[in-house]
Amino acid sequence: MNDKSNNLLEMRGITKYFPGVVANSDVDFDVRYGEVHTLLGENGAGKSTLVKILFGLYQADKGDLLLRGEAMEISSPSDAISSRIGMIHQHFMLVPTLTVAENVALGMPSTRRPLTDLDKVSKKISEISEEHGLAVDPAEIVEHLSVGERQRVEIIKALYRDAELLVLDEPTAVLTPKEVDDLFVILRRMADNGRGLIFISHKLREVMSLSDRITVLRNGQVVGATTPGETSREELAQMMVGRAVRLTPDLPPNEVKESRLSLNNVSVKNDSDTLAVDNVSFEVRAGEILGIAGVSGNGQREIAEAIAGLRPIEPNGLIEINGSNVSDTSTRSRRDQGLGFIPEERVPDGAIPEFTVEENLILVDHETDDFVNRGLFSFDKISEHSSQLVSDFNVKTPSVNTPTSSLSGGNIQKVILARELSASPSVLLACQPTRGVDIGAAEYIHNRLIEQRELGTATLLISEDLDEVLGLSDRVAVMYEGKVIAVVSGEDAGREKVGLLMAGITEAVDA
Amino acid sequence: MNDFFTSGVLVATAASAIRLATPYLLASLGETIGQRSGVLNLGVDGVMLLSAFFSYWTVLQTGNLWLAVVVALAVGVIMGVLYGIITVFFEATQGISGIGIFIFGLGFSDLMFRQQVGTPKPVQRLPNVDIPVLADIPYIGEPLFQRSLLTYLAFALVPLTFLLLNKTTFGLNIRSVGENPQAADSLGVSVERTRFAAILIGNTLAGLAGAALVLQLGIFQPNLTQGMGFIAVALVYFGAWRPLGVMGGALLYGLVNATVLQWKSLGIIPVSISDLAGMAPAIVTIGALILLARRVNAPAALTKPFSRH
Amino acid sequence: MRKKLRLISSLIAVLGVLALGATACGSDDSSGGGGGALTMAIVAPSASDDLAFSQSMVDSVNALDRDITVQVTDGTFIVEDAAAAIRGYAEDGVDVVIAHGTQFGASLAEIAPDFPDTTFVWGTATDTQGLDNVFAYAPAADEGGYVNGVVAAAISSTGIIGVVGPVEAGDAVSYINGFTTAAEAGGATVNVTYTGSFGDVALAAEAAEAHLANNADVLTGTAQMVVGAVGVASDAGVPWFGTQSNQTSLDPDLVVASQVYHWEFALEEMLELRDNGTKGGQTFEINLENGGLVIEFNDGFELSDDVKAAADAAIAGIIDGSIDTGA
Repeated sequence: MNDKSNNLLEMRGITKYFPGVVANSDVDFDVRYGEVHTLLGENGAGKSTLVKILFGLYQADKGDLLLRGEAMEISSPSDAISSRIGMIHQHFMLVPTLTVAENVALGMPSTRRPLTDLDKVSKKISEISEEHGLAVDPAEIVEHLSVGERQRVEIIKALYRDAELLVLDEPTAVLTPKEVDDLFVILRRMADNGRGLIFISHKLREVMSLSDRITVLRNGQVVGATTPGETSREELAQMMVGRAVRLTPDLPPNEVKESRLSLNNVSVKNDSDTLAVDNVSFEVRAGEILGIAGVSGNGQREIAEAIAGLRPIEPNGLIEINGSNVSDTSTRSRRDQGLGFIPEERVPDGAIPEFTVEENLILVDHETDDFVNRGLFSFDKISEHSSQLVSDFNVKTPSVNTPTSSLSGGNIQKVILARELSASPSVLLACQPTRGVDIGAAEYIHNRLIEQRELGTATLLISEDLDEVLGLSDRVAVMYEGKVIAVVSGEDAGREKVGLLMAGITEAVDA
Repeated sequence: MNDFFTSGVLVATAASAIRLATPYLLASLGETIGQRSGVLNLGVDGVMLLSAFFSYWTVLQTGNLWLAVVVALAVGVIMGVLYGIITVFFEATQGISGIGIFIFGLGFSDLMFRQQVGTPKPVQRLPNVDIPVLADIPYIGEPLFQRSLLTYLAFALVPLTFLLLNKTTFGLNIRSVGENPQAADSLGVSVERTRFAAILIGNTLAGLAGAALVLQLGIFQPNLTQGMGFIAVALVYFGAWRPLGVMGGALLYGLVNATVLQWKSLGIIPVSISDLAGMAPAIVTIGALILLARRVNAPAALTKPFSRH
Repeated sequence: MRKKLRLISSLIAVLGVLALGATACGSDDSSGGGGGALTMAIVAPSASDDLAFSQSMVDSVNALDRDITVQVTDGTFIVEDAAAAIRGYAEDGVDVVIAHGTQFGASLAEIAPDFPDTTFVWGTATDTQGLDNVFAYAPAADEGGYVNGVVAAAISSTGIIGVVGPVEAGDAVSYINGFTTAAEAGGATVNVTYTGSFGDVALAAEAAEAHLANNADVLTGTAQMVVGAVGVASDAGVPWFGTQSNQTSLDPDLVVASQVYHWEFALEEMLELRDNGTKGGQTFEINLENGGLVIEFNDGFELSDDVKAAADAAIAGIIDGSIDTGA
């Protein structure tokens, strides 16, 4: 049965309608034993809908589902689970206040009904942990776990239920590169043991490295099926978006002028009061993009917050914007000096989800004379301004009065970008500007950042996406354990070289 | 003040506190179970009024106290089914529906009382049952072990509720659907059934609370509860959604009330400030809440209806 | 789905309101025929059969020797509801609207001037707020309290008497003060508890329990929540003294006597004034002398002749002014 040529799952002609939308249209998809089959597509392409149908969370309007060669009706998650289908959801399906063991035991029959048998569950968790290299303490409460650990709990949940077909819906979205690497080792091993894996992602590099086969969805339809050996990232991107996409932006030559943002001996403490940024100095000049590369947690977040005025710096340090010392000034006064800020967390730091698009667009400027007339909002002007920005920045929203929370991540990011760029910042601090954003939207955001560079903005780009940093930066500063251990020019900054620096290895590079 | 610290008065105060705490405790434990499953029920007071009336009426008609308790349970179950259908299957706004249940209970118990009874008539009260040996312990025997069976039941339900919530698979389901119903649903736990069952238990206990109240007093009057059900809901927050905490809240509330009454009787609290002293239970309870406040969050999905779409 | 649930929610609310309304807009109690009969309405805060404050007025109106039609809205413990009912009756052209509750005064001050032809009767109150179509009424509750106190002190063997009161206001205060004056004069210690609530039966019961723990062997109390305290007295076999209505039915063996309000004596005078064109502006007191207050003894509770005589002497003394009730 576990023959690799056999189909574990076959979905034929799956069609699913939502009010006003065809989420899946006549989709064929199959998974063999022992393979990782990737579902690739932009947000809204229908990947999640398809696997939710498989898991019994939605019912297909048309189509057949065959599991191990037999037609199946899966009408609820419990049907799916008893058919040995496991799902790792994009948003963790964990109860944060419960322990790991309780989360795993949830919904499972107990050997000591009606009481729970958490000791037995814990024991089995430890066995699974050991077998698959998924280290986690069964007695720990989930809200105390790191994101990577939570991911492991999700996988343990599926393995505990003896899942043979495992669906992973964007499992890497919240992971650090290191965690992604670890995860892939585990996933590959699980496939090699004969399980079938459905991997959902829109990150092309990951898809190319993990998949055995790739099926691409666009607008609810299958637009291509291929394997990593037969295709390239560019080709996949084109299939996803439906047009040619530049994955790595071209950086035209640009004239670099005066220093706009400078940091001198800046040290910053993190929430647990230890030094997260250790005596860092650099400057960003007009017309250049300085990229900061580094593995997550090496002080990037803290330095961004320090520059934005959200986190105090240690005495002796100095932050200057356009020549004036802003080390101890408020966020507002830094903005008045010309600072624009795209925060790492789109929501709630960058935009208030309950507010409308319009309200988020004037969040910073709402006190200026442009929008206020004798103490009252001038709604005509606000609406005119907002509509202009929505069309300039290509924000896909039903109207400017739509709650921001109902927009996709990419469009929320465009709203933030529109607000920050429309103020013509002289210094722009952009943190993870394309994280979790569609390829199309990412390309757009990249072009906008390059446009700002041509307008003479000094941009500090902080990103965990190494391709992004390398493609956009005139210079790359690499942070490791709170220090800037090297600043290399864009041309010199090869993937490999910067990768080594990110791991703290300077010797090989200096040579 | 010396009059207060005599054994007889202290014992009477403790007994009074336990009697006062009993209906609160039953109702609050029920509300705790419901809230842990993510369902707020503001209709407790209404359910208490209905069950109080119908169990009173049963005693009036039959003289059978245990039949009255069964009737109260039945009223709780019926109201639970009703509230369950409204909140779980129709996903109605819980705050408003609860108030609706309260108003219905207040009005309907009033109407039935006028039609069926009219003038308050006393009925027999729940007898106190001595627990052998324990009842004879000096000082604590009388307040703790010479009480009614419903009081014993209320306090026995504290560890039972704890066990239910923390040691059973059903309790695990309850806590999960109250914190993250999507997660529970994804593991095949029926959010609807779990919440429905929790609501049913909660309302049944509210029904029992109504019976405990009316059968301790031996008389019914329109709006007998005077908002006790709302205080029971508040005590759930006070008790941080834990049975032991809820019991602490109910006992504290009962004890402060009993002490205030005792002090008024003894003249320790003079008549001139007696109206002010009436606020003491609320003030002390809130004060204790502030002092003891740990950072405990409400169940994350409390008041949020669940649906997959 | 959403629509359905809203429908259900509103249905529930409507059901509740209907149930409330059915009780509040209750009995249309006609004593006497239609046509030329005087129309009266009573708006009362608690149930019309509460064996206390509200019942005393309903009973009194029904005892009037006149051709009248009576409507009752009771259970209006929310003042706004009462105000709406008062205004509603006035708009309907009811001749005499009785606002039976001190707390309705502010509403009345707003409503009465709009209906100059309607007579409003308001109590318990000791002034008419300067309105010439409002009659005010109050009981001299201290008088019955005094008589009850005399008897209570006489039958107490521990010499300690417990009193359960609601909020320290209105006729509760005068009853309790009169009671205390007499009982203390009779050598007893009187422990007074105001529970802080007119409606909290459980608290009243525990207040009585507290008095018993402090060796009280006679209890009394005033307002509708005392039914709880009477239950405690019954269980303990302790005599009880009532006021406002005859409370003998609560315990035919242990209720010694009740001070009963007979508002009809005051009402009768008001109606006569109205017949002669005076729509209001006067204040009436019911007391032992004018027969508005009556001490009704329970035959089921045996009192010695000495005690009976002392009670009669107290009544006589109050009427002729030789006794000061201390209120």
